[in-house]
Amino acid sequence: MTSSLPFHHRPDPELGEALRGALDPGDSAAFVARVLARAEQIQAGSWDIVLARWARVGVAAAALVALAAGYAVGRTAAATLGMRPSVADALLAPSPQAPEAEVVLASLIGN
Amino acid sequence: MADPQPPQEALRIGQQDEAGLVARARSGDRAAFGVLVQRYATAARRVARAVLGDPDDADDAAQDGLLSALVKLDQYDPNRPFGPWLLRIVANAATDRRRRRRVRRAEPLDPGLVAGGTRPDTTAERRALRQRLREALAALPERRRLALVLFDVEGYSHAEIAAILGIPEGTVRSEVFHARRLLRPLLADWKEEG
Repeated sequence: MTSSLPFHHRPDPELGEALRGALDPGDSAAFVARVLARAEQIQAGSWDIVLARWARVGVAAAALVALAAGYAVGRTAAATLGMRPSVADALLAPSPQAPEAEVVLASLIGN
Repeated sequence: MADPQPPQEALRIGQQDEAGLVARARSGDRAAFGVLVQRYATAARRVARAVLGDPDDADDAAQDGLLSALVKLDQYDPNRPFGPWLLRIVANAATDRRRRRRVRRAEPLDPGLVAGGTRPDTTAERRALRQRLREALAALPERRRLALVLFDVEGYSHAEIAAILGIPEGTVRSEVFHARRLLRPLLADWKEEG
């Protein structure tokens, strides 16, 4: 029997069949279902990770936008206020013209 | 016996569409991955069992290997056969599991096993022969055991096994030779007594 020779360089069908019986893994369908279910969990987990990563980026971007908007609004308001003379400006700054009546009244009321 | 389908045929069936299946699985097609799992589940479980011995541990390792392969699909070279690539991952998963769990080393083979036992002419005796084969396998060094199972059970060539185990082809031949020399007498005794 040539197939029984250990140095034969082709698969030994007899030994192969005996070993298949010895290593028989049993129900294949249940195992496949188990692996595929776990694969689904892994995929769902990976999507969670991706979404969480995007959520973090989104929150950071929103915070930056809010900061930028706040800064812009503040600048605009400051510029708007800066165009009108304040009471102190009107009183302290020497002016060749007579002070505006409302500024003088405002300073009196304030005191 | 347990698996009537010739292993070599089982692994080779539809190999031409295997690259397509892998490409689809890589792009997230679960059905394609399912086909690959179905195709290689039995081989993966047998290879894992050849390493670990315990069938439950082997199934856990085979599952680890298959899922690890899913995660690593981007690393697979589609110009190479998929089976050896996958079984290498499974074998590594089984080896890792064995190391982690510190599974007991196999007891040295009882000389009585090699000399043969009672004639397995009944179901119980056939079961006993399988048990003796498992014990004889367990007594082999892991690499020798894997080489034998991949060659005689799964039908891979020496070159493919060399790629799976990361050893020279000549070493694979030597490992198969030594493994057969130990296991073959079990079958021979069974037949002679029959």
